[in-house]
Amino acid sequence: MAAEAAPAPLSLAAEIARARRRRRAAFLRRLFGHPSFLIGFVILAAFAATALLADRIAPYAPTKIDYRAILAPPSAAHWFGTDGFGRDILSRILHGTRVSLTIGLWVVAMVGVFGTLLGTLASYVRWLDGLIMRGLDGLMAFPGVLLAIALAAALGPSETNAIIALTVTFTPRTARIVRASVLVVQGMQYIEAAHAVGAGHGRIVFRYILANALSPLIVQLTFVFAVSIIAEAILSFLGVGPPPPAPSLGNIIADGRSYIQEAWWIAVFPGIVIAVAVLGLNLMGDGLRDVLDPRQRVERGGH
Amino acid sequence: MRRLDLIGTGLRVAVASGALALGAVLSSGTAMAQVMGGTAVFVQGSNPPSLDAMVTSSQASRNINMNVYETLYGFSDAIQPIPILAEGVEISADGLTYVFTLRQGVKFHNGKEMTARDVKASLERYRKVGATANLLAPVREIEITGDHEVTFHMVTATPTFLEAFASPRAPAVIIPEEDAEAEAGKTSLIGTGPYRIVEYVPDSHVTIEKFADYSQDTRQEGPDGFGGRKTAYLDTVTFRIIPEPGAQVAALEAGEVHILEQIPVPAARRLESNPDIVLEENMPWAFSVFIMNLNVPPTDNVKFREAVQVALNMEEIMAIASEGIFQLNHGWQYPGTTYDAGDIGAQYYNLADADRAKALLAEAGYGGEEFVILTDSNIPQHNKAAVVIAEQLKAVGINATINMVDWPTALNLRLQDTGWNGWTLQMGIEPYLGPVGVVATLTSPARPHFVVPDAALDALYQELISGPTVADRQEAMRKIQTRLYEIFGIVKLGDSGLMTARRANVKGYVPFRFPRVHDIWLEN
Repeated sequence: MAAEAAPAPLSLAAEIARARRRRRAAFLRRLFGHPSFLIGFVILAAFAATALLADRIAPYAPTKIDYRAILAPPSAAHWFGTDGFGRDILSRILHGTRVSLTIGLWVVAMVGVFGTLLGTLASYVRWLDGLIMRGLDGLMAFPGVLLAIALAAALGPSETNAIIALTVTFTPRTARIVRASVLVVQGMQYIEAAHAVGAGHGRIVFRYILANALSPLIVQLTFVFAVSIIAEAILSFLGVGPPPPAPSLGNIIADGRSYIQEAWWIAVFPGIVIAVAVLGLNLMGDGLRDVLDPRQRVERGGH
Repeated sequence: MRRLDLIGTGLRVAVASGALALGAVLSSGTAMAQVMGGTAVFVQGSNPPSLDAMVTSSQASRNINMNVYETLYGFSDAIQPIPILAEGVEISADGLTYVFTLRQGVKFHNGKEMTARDVKASLERYRKVGATANLLAPVREIEITGDHEVTFHMVTATPTFLEAFASPRAPAVIIPEEDAEAEAGKTSLIGTGPYRIVEYVPDSHVTIEKFADYSQDTRQEGPDGFGGRKTAYLDTVTFRIIPEPGAQVAALEAGEVHILEQIPVPAARRLESNPDIVLEENMPWAFSVFIMNLNVPPTDNVKFREAVQVALNMEEIMAIASEGIFQLNHGWQYPGTTYDAGDIGAQYYNLADADRAKALLAEAGYGGEEFVILTDSNIPQHNKAAVVIAEQLKAVGINATINMVDWPTALNLRLQDTGWNGWTLQMGIEPYLGPVGVVATLTSPARPHFVVPDAALDALYQELISGPTVADRQEAMRKIQTRLYEIFGIVKLGDSGLMTARRANVKGYVPFRFPRVHDIWLEN
C-alpha cells in the first residue's frame, strides 16, 4: 500500500507490476490445479459452448414439428428421441441450454450489481443501513423459489420477467454477504490510513474496500448462477418461464411429465443436463472458495 | 306430445358408438349381480368452478352436479328430451303455452317435498344467475297452476324450446325455494338427485353420498341419458382432483382410484394388455376449434382470417393435439347426423396452402402485426393445438406468439375485447346438443366467441331456432355453415375423441357426457 500512498521510483513500480503478474499466475495455477475447480470449469465450458453453438450443432430446428415421429424413442435419427409434437429432444436441449445460460448470466450480472450496490451502501452509509437491510430482510422472509414463482406469475411468462423475478429473489442474500465483508474491511487500519491521507469516498470504496471484499462475492455469484439455472427450470416447468414453443430445460421436462412411463427420454435427458450443469457450477464454486479463502489455505498447509 | 316427438327425432345426434354398444351389452347381460355399498373414486383434472349447477357450464362441475341435481326435462341416451322431474308436458297447438306436470313425492336432500313453488323459484333464479339464462328468453311468464303443475307462457312459438330447456350445458336444475334468492354459488347445494354433496375441499376432492330418500323415476327400466330410473349402489363417491395426467395414470394402476375422466393415449396404449384396466374410446367427443377475435387487428380483416384458414394443416394439428384420436371434419355438425350440412366449406379445409395464404396476407395488407394466440396450460388439447397452429402460421409469415395462462385466466382473457387474436378451444357439450348448441355460442344475444356479432349469422340463428320443421332447420344450418366459411371467425380444426379408463372391478359403468355414478358398483 506504500506504493499507493507515495510516488515510488520507476524501478520499484516495475518490480511491483512483476510481482503482481507473478501473483496472478500463481493464483491461476492454484485455481486450475484445484481438481474440483478444473472439473467444474470444464463442464461449464462445455455447457457454454453448446449454448453458443446450438444453431450449428443441433441436428434440427428446436421448434420443427413432425407428426409422423411423435414420441419416437432415441434412435440414429433422433439421438434423444422426440416429444409429443415430434420435435427433436436433442435440438431442444441444445437450444434450451442457451436460455438457461442467458438467464443465468443476466441474473448473475444484475445480482452482482444490485447486491454490491445495496450491500456497500448499507455498510458504508450508516444511516441507510437499517432502511436497506430491513427491506431486504422483508424479501428474504419469503422462501426463495416461491418468491420467484410468485413474481414471474404476476409479471407474466417471458424470459425478461424470469430474469427480473430471479434477480429480486437472489439480491438480498448477496447484498447481505457484501455488507458483512465490507463491514470487516472497513474496520481495517489501511482504510483508516486512506481516510487520513485524504482519499475520496469513491477511491476508498472501489479501490480499497470492494477490491478486498470481492472473494466471498465471487463465490456467492457462482452459487447464484447455479441456483438460477435450477430456478429457471422450475419456473419453466411451472409454465411461468419463456412461453412455448421456445425450448428451455424446464419446459422440456414439463412436456415429458405426462409421458414419464411411455416416453422417459423427454424428461430424463434434460434432467441429466441440468444435474450435470449444476454439479459443474458447484464444483467450480467449491474450488473458488478453497483458493480465495486464506484461512482454508493455512489449514491445508499452503502459503 | 306429437309435436315433441317430431322435434326430438329431428335434433338427434349420434352418441359415441362405443358407449351405446357397451350399454346394450350391459342391459342385456343378466348374469351380473349388483353389489351394494363401497366407495368409488373418480378422477378429473380440475376443480369444479361451482357446485351451484345453474351458474356454470364447466364440465368439471357438470361431472359432479349431474349426479346431485335434476331438471324437469333432460336428454335421453338418444338425445331426445325426456321428462325427469316432470311427469310430462302439454304444449298448446299455437306453441304459446307449456303445461308441465311434476312428479309427486320427489324429495329434496333436506327431506322437503318438491312442489310447483320450488320449480318456479328455481327457474326465476335461473333467469338471474343461469350461465345460459337465454334459454328462458322465449318464456314470458312462469305461472303456478297447481301444487304439482307449472305453466310457461311464451313470448313467441319456439319449436326448439324444449331442447334448449333440457340442455345439460348449464342445467336449469330444480332446487328448494329457500335457495332461490341465493347469489351465484351461495346455495345450500341441495338437489333431488340420487347422491348429495357432503364435502368439498378445493384442489383435493368432492365427496357425494347416497341419498337414502331418493325418489326413483320408475317409468323406465334403467338409466336413460340424464334421466331414467337411477339406482345408487355405492355409498359414497369421491371426485378426486389430480391435475397431472401422469399422476392420474399412476393412481389408476395402483388401484387407488377407479375411473379416469381422460387418459393420455400413449398411456392407454401401454395399458391395453393390463387385465385390471378397461379402456374405452368416446368418439366423437368434441369439436376442436380455433376462434379469432374480430375486434382487433390483424384478425379484424376477413382476408387475413381467410389466410389463416387456408394456411392451416388440420391433419397435423389434430394428430398432435388429440394424440391420434380424431376425424377430419370441416362441418359444424358431426358427420351423418340430421343437421350435417355436407360439403359446404370443405374447399377451405385442411389445405396447408402457403402460397394462397401469402397472397391473401398481401391482399389483406398484413404488415407483420403480432398475432397473439391465447391458450391454457391445463388442457393439453388446447395448448398443443396452439403450438402447432403458431408454427404453421409462422411458416407463412404471420408473427404468431403464444400467451399460455391457466384455464380460469384464459376464460377471463377471452372475455376481453382486446389483447388476443386467436383462442384454441375444445367444444364438448355444444355439438352434443345439436345445431342450436353450437350456433348459440357464435351469435347474439350471447356474446359470440369471436367477439363481434355478425348480423347475417344472427339472423340465420333466429331462422334456425324458429324453423317449424326439420327441413327448415336443415336449410338454416346449411346457410349457417356457408356463412361461417365466408366470415372465417372460427376455424373448425376437426372432431376429437376422448379416451377413458377405469378399473376392471367397476361394473355397470357406461361412459357418457358426465360420469353417471349411479347404477355402477364395485366387484370385490
